[in-house]
Amino acid sequence: MRRRVPLVWKNLTHHRQRLLIAVCGVGFAVVLMFTEIGFRNALFDSTVKIFRDLDADVIVASKAYYSLISQETFSRRRIEQARGCPGVGGVFPLYVEMFGAAWKNPDHVAIPIRVLACDPADPVFSNPGIRQCIAALSQPDTAIVDRQSKPKYGFPDAPTELLGLRGAELCSRSVRVVGSFAMGCDFMIDGTVIVSSASLAGYRPLRAWGKDPLSVVDLGIVQVVKGADVRKVIEDLRRILPPDVSIDSKEAFVAREIRFWNDSTPVGYVFFLGVVIGFLVGVVICYQIIYADISDHMAEFATLKAMGYRNRYFIGFILGEALYLSVLSFVPGLLISAAIYQGLARVTGLLMLLTVPRAALVFSLTLAMCTFSGALAMRKVLAADPADLF
Amino acid sequence: MAHTDGTSNGNYSIRVRALQHYFGEGELRKQVLFDNQLDVARGEIVIMTGPSGSGKTTLLTLIGTLRSVQEGSLEVLGQELRGATPAAMIAARRQIGFIFQNHNLFASLTAFQNVKMAMELFSFGPEETSSRITAILTRLGLGHRIHYKPRSLSGGQKQRVAVARGLVHGPKIVLADEPTAALDEKSGREVVTYFQELARQEQCTIVMVTHDNRILDIADRIVSMVDGHIKSNVLVRESALVCAFLQQCPAFSALTPRTLTQVADQMASETHPAGEVIIRQGDPGDKFYLIRSGKVDVIVAADGAPQRRTSLEQGDYFGEAALLTGAPRNATIVAAEDVRLYTLTKAQFQVVLDSSASFQEELRKALFERQ
Repeated sequence: MRRRVPLVWKNLTHHRQRLLIAVCGVGFAVVLMFTEIGFRNALFDSTVKIFRDLDADVIVASKAYYSLISQETFSRRRIEQARGCPGVGGVFPLYVEMFGAAWKNPDHVAIPIRVLACDPADPVFSNPGIRQCIAALSQPDTAIVDRQSKPKYGFPDAPTELLGLRGAELCSRSVRVVGSFAMGCDFMIDGTVIVSSASLAGYRPLRAWGKDPLSVVDLGIVQVVKGADVRKVIEDLRRILPPDVSIDSKEAFVAREIRFWNDSTPVGYVFFLGVVIGFLVGVVICYQIIYADISDHMAEFATLKAMGYRNRYFIGFILGEALYLSVLSFVPGLLISAAIYQGLARVTGLLMLLTVPRAALVFSLTLAMCTFSGALAMRKVLAADPADLF
Repeated sequence: MAHTDGTSNGNYSIRVRALQHYFGEGELRKQVLFDNQLDVARGEIVIMTGPSGSGKTTLLTLIGTLRSVQEGSLEVLGQELRGATPAAMIAARRQIGFIFQNHNLFASLTAFQNVKMAMELFSFGPEETSSRITAILTRLGLGHRIHYKPRSLSGGQKQRVAVARGLVHGPKIVLADEPTAALDEKSGREVVTYFQELARQEQCTIVMVTHDNRILDIADRIVSMVDGHIKSNVLVRESALVCAFLQQCPAFSALTPRTLTQVADQMASETHPAGEVIIRQGDPGDKFYLIRSGKVDVIVAADGAPQRRTSLEQGDYFGEAALLTGAPRNATIVAAEDVRLYTLTKAQFQVVLDSSASFQEELRKALFERQ
């Protein structure tokens, strides 16, 4: 294999300062896209994190349920009915107070907080932190708290600090923190605590409008027996239970939650627009760099044409330059974005996940960005006329 | 000397026929080349001169396939370029080496890499590539600068790298625009000496636009253009030969060198095989002939019977009588063996006569003596 003169690389790296500016510019676009995509995904990831922490194969919810924020409940009797369905290993009620509860530290006014409640004996959660300390909730008026809640709640970062925690109030009644776990916030929810269902009845005595507060359930957690077909169980449950509940797999609930936020709110669109803007910024910067490089070397390119170089070569040159720029800018952009994700996750409590498919998506966008600007600049290099050289 | 024969010949690398060229469209269309004719033999070094705007660079770009031929015919290395496809033009281009007034080197590449760019279009092996580049750069006095970038080279060195780039792939034609303008006398001389070597040893044709008087001596042919016309097209070496030859002829010996050169420049050459009739008695006189080599017989028809009067040899001339007197040819001239003649047309002859009283006198005296 003959080694060719690496003209693309040489030209790109010849002006170090220009390259640095180019990498900064395109890298900025990369970070911008990462951040927007990160926020968009954080919105979804964080909102459905609660589902991920549930040890459920199938979930039962009210027929009117459309999102966690819909606050629609169904009768506890459905839980008992579901237990009779073949293939079902266990059905447990989960009570969710999205907006109805408030947390108060002695030195602060009360702040709304999300409260989850279940029987401490029920294996409702898969989150290891919760599983570890949920047994402590069997004592009355106790709670375990999400360490990743917003700092305003004053929840300790480490379990050992619990000992020094001062007294607090949940819904104007004293509460004792007996453990902590890690779950995270989302755009609606700043913090989460878990109490036993017995305690919840004390904290929210009126949640069922005069009936037993625990007689209405938010989510029914269904676990199927080992080896049972989840789809079959869902079908059976739908047949057995009255039509005032909807039954679906956990994944379907996750998808439904994401669809709600993406389609029914402008949030998904706003972040999508952010990605588009990042893309356009990248196109403009990348175009500037490639165009400037071509303009500076018009005579040289025309000389190459006089030698007999075909347009193919110049198209390859531009695409090569675009590819190098993408890679050179993507790597630092990725590193900076990873740092930003971590920082944001710490500050906001949002779930900022930098997964391989997401990084691949941003890399494809970067590549498309640079190629697109290269295509814009292509006309310039194809216009180089060797007849002008004499 | 004027060169106008139209015979087809594989020895020509550039043949231009009735070439017209226009710039602009519609009302702004402006003709820049008018009916150009030019033949350049293989291995010839041609220098093109003329004021700017005379069309010489246009002609150069047409020859270099950098522009499309519009009207007329242009053959480069045996290929007609009129109506050539872009692919054919690019293929033709690869057999041509270009040297531009500006060096146009990539600042990011070393001298070696810049030159290598010209070789990558061809299938040279890695060793040959490397050795050719090193050899040519060394030949042009850059052996110690092979891996330097243009930034670390002087203007003259950069221009020499550009020269190397134009020549390294062994082109059959080199088109150069002021190749020595950026060079000092010594390196300019090195470059043109190398041109001469290429022309002599590899039959490479070199067409150069230059105003550098210092290198005019290497030209085989000097083409001078004015306003889109080829005003003069002189084979320099042949012209010098004709001059020397004319000087030995008694009739021309009295001419000043300047007039002599003028005469030589205007003379055309023609050849005739043995036995061919060159002029016929009774025809109107239109040319003056000077024998470069060979022998002719002078035959006069007297009383109906042709009679061989005398024979003429190298350095002799004939045909002047009819031009001087305006009478028809008074004899028939037949080639006795293969002859080569220099000719002047009637008009050119008249110009020479008018410019030199002594020449006129000499001719009239000779004519008188002959009768």
